[in-house]
Amino acid sequence: MKIKLELYGASREFSEKDYLEFSLKEKSSINDLRNEILSFIDKNFKGNDNFKKLVKSSKFCSEENNIVADSYKITKDQKIGIIPPIGGG
Amino acid sequence: MLHAKIIDVSKEKIELARAQKFIASSKCGASIYFVGTVRDQNDNKKVTGITYDSHDTLVIKSFEEIYKEAETKFKFNNIAVFIEHIKGYVALGDTSIIIAVACKHRAQAYEFSRYIIEEIKKRTPIWKKEHYKEEDSKWLKGSPLVDQNQLK
Repeated sequence: MKIKLELYGASREFSEKDYLEFSLKEKSSINDLRNEILSFIDKNFKGNDNFKKLVKSSKFCSEENNIVADSYKITKDQKIGIIPPIGGG
Repeated sequence: MLHAKIIDVSKEKIELARAQKFIASSKCGASIYFVGTVRDQNDNKKVTGITYDSHDTLVIKSFEEIYKEAETKFKFNNIAVFIEHIKGYVALGDTSIIIAVACKHRAQAYEFSRYIIEEIKKRTPIWKKEHYKEEDSKWLKGSPLVDQNQLK
């Protein structure tokens, strides 16, 4: 499955684009996606600790604009948003 | 009655006059305006501006949820609420958020307005990148998002 990970807040530092793309196995979960992102950081940012902490403390948002749990199964190609810790207002 | 919107500052301005127009009603005896602006210092650093980022759909969803919850919690009649938050770069002193509330009485308006801003801080997906006079810009740490549905 192709996942387009939309970047927000501090996660925008992961790419010059607004998104990253990942290929996941069928029936992968959000937790699997999180692990893929952590591997991406290991490969591309020498395991940058701050980036990894950010990923671990982030939530994820489905294409239907719902915040989804780590156990949420991704069943099709879709856009998923990474929601780092928030601080607006 | 709620108006909720994200203002992309590269396309339009955030304006108090729109809030005044929206909440104006002869049924309300009290109006409160909360205006958040960019201040010049944070953590002993000289701030020159802030770039706000937002997940627009989730932000509007969260404004609507907060409004509905406040309605249920306070049970006030004839309320008008206007919430606009900007996205993009704003300089010192510029407005980042306007919350305008009109109610029958002043105590209600204060309560409703305070509830909205405190909940936005806790759960609305908006992020700040601060720009400094003498240092590199930095995304603020923030707090992990609290998902209300998972709390239920």
